Amino acid sequence: MSEDALFAEVLDPANRADPYPIYARLRRTPVSRQRDGAYVVSTHAAIRSLLFDPRLSSEDLPPSRRPRTGNPLTDWVLNPIKNRVANAHRPLIFRDPPAHDTLRGFVMNEFTIARVNGLHGRVGALVDTLIEQCRGRDTVCLVDDLSYPLPVAVICELLGVPEADEPQFHAWATQLATALEPDARRDDEARRVTVTTFDAIAAYMRRLIREKRRHPGDDMLSGLARPGRAGAPAMGDVDLIATAVLLLVAGHETTVNLITNGMLTLLRHPHELDRLKADPERAPRLIEELLRYEPPVHFRTRKALGAIEIAGTTIPKGAPVILLFASGNRDPERFADPDRFDPDRADNQHFGFGGGLHYCVGAPLARIEAEIALVTLCRRLVRPTLLDDPPPYRAGASLRGPSNLGIRIAGIA
Amino acid sequence: MRVVVDLNRCQGYAQCCYAAPDSFELRGHEILFYDPAPPDEARPRIERAQQACPVRAISIEPASLDREDAL
Repeated sequence: MSEDALFAEVLDPANRADPYPIYARLRRTPVSRQRDGAYVVSTHAAIRSLLFDPRLSSEDLPPSRRPRTGNPLTDWVLNPIKNRVANAHRPLIFRDPPAHDTLRGFVMNEFTIARVNGLHGRVGALVDTLIEQCRGRDTVCLVDDLSYPLPVAVICELLGVPEADEPQFHAWATQLATALEPDARRDDEARRVTVTTFDAIAAYMRRLIREKRRHPGDDMLSGLARPGRAGAPAMGDVDLIATAVLLLVAGHETTVNLITNGMLTLLRHPHELDRLKADPERAPRLIEELLRYEPPVHFRTRKALGAIEIAGTTIPKGAPVILLFASGNRDPERFADPDRFDPDRADNQHFGFGGGLHYCVGAPLARIEAEIALVTLCRRLVRPTLLDDPPPYRAGASLRGPSNLGIRIAGIA
Repeated sequence: MRVVVDLNRCQGYAQCCYAAPDSFELRGHEILFYDPAPPDEARPRIERAQQACPVRAISIEPASLDREDAL
């Protein structure tokens, strides 16, 4: 396999269960040009340096294009306007400073410490209820039984999305998450479905935001929709919708992987499972090691705003750049014995939540959910063992995790 | 217990403020205030803050060092 086809191997679903040997080959060239002109960055040092490089832009999405409908008013007037609005109001993960910082500021003002930490009890209650529902069975299907419903319920509650409306988000969120995968961007049909999905979810959000303005609750969406106080600017409606959709999708499609990868890793390292069960205070370091060893998001893409010389390669202006976080996390130059799962590892500076100004907003919430879920699972599942190893995986190479994790149990404690 | 934050490393990710809000506070966007001698019962939260720090800027040292410093 030639080096410029290695990233295509990463995207190949056949390699989803274990992409790490391909990452090791990619790291031989820290910044490696692929056949399609994209540059894959795979070492810890190069990723770290580029995360803080202002010449790397997050505004790398191709322009929004709605499909022809045959109706001239729609095709020549309405849709071009919608496309321009969508291109100008992308959510903050696809924005650079200063717009990014302004949008993130609005979100951080509502993602308060009190609001996030206030979810502790609720997360615990949800985890217990979900596990209780498995009583009487000899198998747990972790994704359907817990890893997916838990973060979904939490993000809906945090944002203030009525739980009854949740089922329709499932399909929407999955579709929008696939739009983050490199394959989907090149495929016209996939882009068409993404635009249609975004329109549907945006229409829902517009109604919900109107509702929140009429009857504000103490949820995040009510807070974001509140008009600015004392002349302070508020987020515009289009940005507000894009932000709400982003938070909802992020809540649906990432923490699920952290919890499932976590349980998979613990079941592959039963000694660590027993230690966590005996001492739940090991959870924080164990979760950081999970974020290094099996991160929920394997890579993000950027675009070079100018030529960038790095690690013996020159990335030309305009080239797509793939920051392969999960490979940096396994870089032997940075981590001793990187392929070993070792929660007692010191100096664990991983890219599990990315880094730099786009560092995951939801990180504190993800840590709370993962800690409570994993500790409770270890405590309550009696003699858990893996049914299939490796398990089946979801389609995504970036948002990577099992689609199902069958666990045989001898009961619920 | 004595807490030391290497403020040259700190980049204001604020993860410690979520993990141990009684002991860490970010004012503005990047000025970190923290309690260098938190009570013992705060230890689990301080350890969470230490683990969650993306740049590993937080260290926890035995309180006995306080006395050595005072000398």
